[in-house]
Amino acid sequence: MSEQPDSGAPLVEAPADTVAGEVVLRLTDVVKTFPGVRALDGVQLEVRAGEVHCLLGQNGAGKSTLIKVLAGVHRPDSGLVEWRGQPVSFANPQAAMRAGIATIYQELDLVADLSVAENAFLGHEPRRLGFVRRGQMARHTRQILGRLGHAEIPPGRMVRALPAAGKQVVSMARALSHEARLIIMDEPSAVLAHDEVENLFRIIRELTAQGIAVIYISHRLEEIREIGDRVTVLKDGRTTAANLPARDTPTRELVSRMTGRTIEYVFPDRPEGSALGEELLQVEGLTRAGEFADVSLTVRAGEIVGIAGLVGSGRSELMETIYGARRAESGTVRMAGRALRPGSVGAAVRAGLGMAPEERKSQALLLGEPIYRNVTLATFSRYARFGFIDAGREQAEADRIAESLEMRPRDVRRAVRTLSGGNQQKVVVGRWLLGGTKLLLLDEPTRGVDVGARAELYQVIRQLAAEGVGVLLVSSEVPEVLGLADRVLVMREGRVVRTAQAGELDENTVLDLVMAGSLMEGAPA
Amino acid sequence: MTDSPPATTQLPAQSPPVDPAETEAAGAHATPSHAAATGRLSWWHGDSGEGARRNLALVGVLVALFAIGAATRSDLYSNPDWVWANMLSILKLASVVGVVTVGMTFVIIGGGIDLSVGAIVALAGVWCTTVATQSFGAGGMIFTAIVVGVAVGLVNGTLIAYGRLVPFIATLAMLVAARGLAAEISDKQTQISQNSTINGIASTNLLGIPVLVYILAAVVIAGWVLLNRTTFGRRTVAVGGNPEAARLAGIDVKRHTLLLYALSGLCCGIAAIMLTAQATSAQAGMANLYELDAIAAVIIGGTLLSGGRGTIIGSLLGVIIFATITNLFAINGLSIEAQNMVKGGIIVAAVLIQQVQFGSLSLFFRRNRLTTS
Amino acid sequence: MTQHSRRRLLFGGAAVGAGVLLSACTSNESSTPTEAQTKAADGGGNAEPGKQVTIGFSAPAESHGWIAAITNNAKAQAGAYSDVELKSVEAGADAAAQRAALSTLISQKPDVIVLLPFDGKELNSFGLEAMAAGIPVVNLDRAFPDAKAYRLQIKGDNYGMGVSAANFIAEQLKAKGVSNPVIAEIAGMDALELTQERTKGFNDTLAQHGLKVANRRAAEFTVDTGQREAAQLLQALPKIDAIWNHDDDQGVGVLAAISQANRNEFFMVGGAGSKKAMEDIQADNTVLKATVTYSPSMASSAISLARLIGQGRGMGDLVELQVPKEIVLASETITKENASDYMKLGF
Repeated sequence: MSEQPDSGAPLVEAPADTVAGEVVLRLTDVVKTFPGVRALDGVQLEVRAGEVHCLLGQNGAGKSTLIKVLAGVHRPDSGLVEWRGQPVSFANPQAAMRAGIATIYQELDLVADLSVAENAFLGHEPRRLGFVRRGQMARHTRQILGRLGHAEIPPGRMVRALPAAGKQVVSMARALSHEARLIIMDEPSAVLAHDEVENLFRIIRELTAQGIAVIYISHRLEEIREIGDRVTVLKDGRTTAANLPARDTPTRELVSRMTGRTIEYVFPDRPEGSALGEELLQVEGLTRAGEFADVSLTVRAGEIVGIAGLVGSGRSELMETIYGARRAESGTVRMAGRALRPGSVGAAVRAGLGMAPEERKSQALLLGEPIYRNVTLATFSRYARFGFIDAGREQAEADRIAESLEMRPRDVRRAVRTLSGGNQQKVVVGRWLLGGTKLLLLDEPTRGVDVGARAELYQVIRQLAAEGVGVLLVSSEVPEVLGLADRVLVMREGRVVRTAQAGELDENTVLDLVMAGSLMEGAPA
Repeated sequence: MTDSPPATTQLPAQSPPVDPAETEAAGAHATPSHAAATGRLSWWHGDSGEGARRNLALVGVLVALFAIGAATRSDLYSNPDWVWANMLSILKLASVVGVVTVGMTFVIIGGGIDLSVGAIVALAGVWCTTVATQSFGAGGMIFTAIVVGVAVGLVNGTLIAYGRLVPFIATLAMLVAARGLAAEISDKQTQISQNSTINGIASTNLLGIPVLVYILAAVVIAGWVLLNRTTFGRRTVAVGGNPEAARLAGIDVKRHTLLLYALSGLCCGIAAIMLTAQATSAQAGMANLYELDAIAAVIIGGTLLSGGRGTIIGSLLGVIIFATITNLFAINGLSIEAQNMVKGGIIVAAVLIQQVQFGSLSLFFRRNRLTTS
Repeated sequence: MTQHSRRRLLFGGAAVGAGVLLSACTSNESSTPTEAQTKAADGGGNAEPGKQVTIGFSAPAESHGWIAAITNNAKAQAGAYSDVELKSVEAGADAAAQRAALSTLISQKPDVIVLLPFDGKELNSFGLEAMAAGIPVVNLDRAFPDAKAYRLQIKGDNYGMGVSAANFIAEQLKAKGVSNPVIAEIAGMDALELTQERTKGFNDTLAQHGLKVANRRAAEFTVDTGQREAAQLLQALPKIDAIWNHDDDQGVGVLAAISQANRNEFFMVGGAGSKKAMEDIQADNTVLKATVTYSPSMASSAISLARLIGQGRGMGDLVELQVPKEIVLASETITKENASDYMKLGF
């Protein structure tokens, strides 16, 4: 962590005044790799007793892996984990628990058909002569629940019968039953209604007042502002900022640390004065409850339209709905004037749509199959007569695409599994080039793609537009949207909050829109 | 496009996460010119050669079994006529399960499983040998068996693709129901086939080779072509390998799933005719546990139980290996219990070998090539 | 429905695959028991109507000709008496299911229970319970180990089957003057005790004649396994002098395998005594020359005797005032000469 781009601010700032207490947990240069991915790539973290330490980062930034390292599920490959001054390596979750680190996962790991007390003391029931001392267990549970301000939950109630908030309280009771000194909460507010979040915060404040440290993970900045003391930001498995004051750090800085504008990309020039074609895609009033609402947009032939927004803003869901992979509750999607059958990918593909989905490996590729079969996945029936595929023609076509996209390696019989992220993405994009697709939906096309390949992909996308293909692009990286798109839609919480030509927006404006929205209230939607 | 980053590009503080696949691609497989230099050998060591490597290993097992037979019963194996007749007898033994296994291979590559194959064979066999059906002659019997097989397969497929039942559950239910229906139709009796054309399927040889073996060969070849040369086969691999990717590429995953179970049913219908011909009769209890025989053969043939990859030839070799073991135990007069234990051992061994091959062994080979090249 | 239209319907039904509805009107000729098997015992005035008796009946629901004949015979025999009411429960798929079915039977308060258990050992406790509750139990075929668990046991002689088969084979071979004969055996399901008993009887008796089995395969009482194991056995033994096949049901497959292999240098003895086997023996156009009986007619006898037990009467020809406690049917050898006599008992 020698140099930091962008602001040049020191990575580790002096602890904020508000935080008192000794350092209970310190991570130095922690690395964890899995086959195919370097999940943690040098993580620094420092947590003090009695503080709420927030972890920020996009999906895939390494938060989950980090939690699992702390909870004893994974063991780091290298780096140092110090717990209360001692280097530790937890062999299993029980060891972490015994040491006083409790984890409350997003999917609460409770046994639905056991009682509250049995869940709280699962695995370390008070017992005598092999018999569980039920009375004592119930008494202790009642005590703990009281400490959590939820004395009204009966220890004998089945967990199945509790609401989500109640289950969370039981998870915390379990943590306290172990006398935890550090509680890790993975997006605890995700399952809660608004007023229940207040209650959660009250509990957290009581815990920290007792000197317990809390690692709090959330996508919601306003929560972090309210409950957090300090913030550590992760990106691509690496700490990009540590110990920022939770209340005072500007949103813009947090977001840029998260989305990681660590490099400048070269974007191809927009063609000067090239006339856009007809309106290809017309989306009107598209709605799916809980995901996005009343979205209208158009894409012209030869136009690149970018959607900026955070994970959870409904952008990927919107793309998939346009594509027919999800069925809209209301609204229409028209392609060249003709309405598409809702919920039918086949109809969308026949109408000339193609999509490169967000999760390349799980949603787009047959990893064990050769490149050419992946390139022709949507079109192989075109090289068939009476169902028999003309493999020669198929390979030749795939080869042509590989050539034009400069895929490496060029041997199209090689398994896609062996390709780099950027080349895998070229395979997916190439699939639709082959199909004569008129409108391409690209969801995070450069995720996991290295620098050089990114520039190439941008070139490819711009080239496609020049050939008259319409492109709808989603990216978490605001500069990418601004640099590549002709027109930009900003989405926040399922709604389009701003539509503008790319030239009319700058990164700060978009970030403010994406995060807060309040700054631009009343702006044309 | 530029190969080296232009001046305006600022490198990140640290290099981006490294995809091991990429390093492997850069290392072991290197450039196209490297691949060209190694030529055909690279195919053999590469991914596409994997199936061939495994099938050769299965052929090796067969050779070993033959050698064991020759060593333990040298009196029989010294007679070439007997050896030839015995090989045909093994193929005949393998023929019915073999046909079922071709259908099962498709279902499993397509990401499913069909536990009802034995029950479908029994139902189709019973239905095609009722007095009423037999009155329509050989054509009527064959037609009935195939229609019943396909119809039951379509019910399976509909429940799984459109009813969203787990394949295991849906076909398990069908296993019970189809045998029940077969018992109902046959009134639990053995139904004798009086049709000499049907019975002749099992007793006739053409050019010295039994008709049953021709049928097996025809089904295997058709299955191979269907899997490797047609859009149907391509969809099967896509649907089993990554259903979400297949769906997002515009493939109708549900309809294809339906067709896969119908294909399995078709194979069962054909197998029912063959089995009825062999036994010159049918009953509700026949083809008992064929589902396990077929699944075991598919597994040792190298098809991934999770779907997305597999070979027809591997499955065929699996069936033949099992038939050879049965034969080996029979000619040595050993007990069926011991035979079943050995079969169980072979299944475990095959899967273990596959894991080793996929994991350390293939890595070992690649590393080895790296250092030698 | 006339025979003709029934055929049409069934075939059409197959064509459209609408099976469930139509299966109700499919039937086979062989499913109705012969009159001889349902003949009411007419000796000693036992046939005359007496006290009304309710008989509970349970047998496994296997798809096997012999088991099916047991159930059909019991029902037909009960129907022949005006004073007998038969309450039959399906036994389900295993011993536990049969136990559950039997408990519902008990609640209907039958006077006597006739039971072919899945497994005599596993259902022994049920016999004890019922007997203790005052309901006499008639055990069919698969014996309870505990003598207190039944009032009457009526069964075939599995060991005796092996003895009869071995004796017939030994005599025939002797008559032909074959030295060092090659004898093969195709057993039924090896896991069943009855198979072990049959094999033991066969081996013991062959040994007395100075003979032994050269190769043995176990089928599963089904036609296809009979064919499969026979085909392998023929492959293992290029020359055979005699074969004993335990079960005439699987024997259909065994004979198919033999004719497919074009083998006829040996003769074969069957087991159980199916109608098809007797017809083949009588016609004398296959290798099957004899079969040793294990007749499902025992179910008919069981119902007759259960009726007498329920009415407190003895068997007409016996001096005793009550029905005896155990009856073991002799295993008889059916050959071309006497096949016509036994034909009526074939199933």
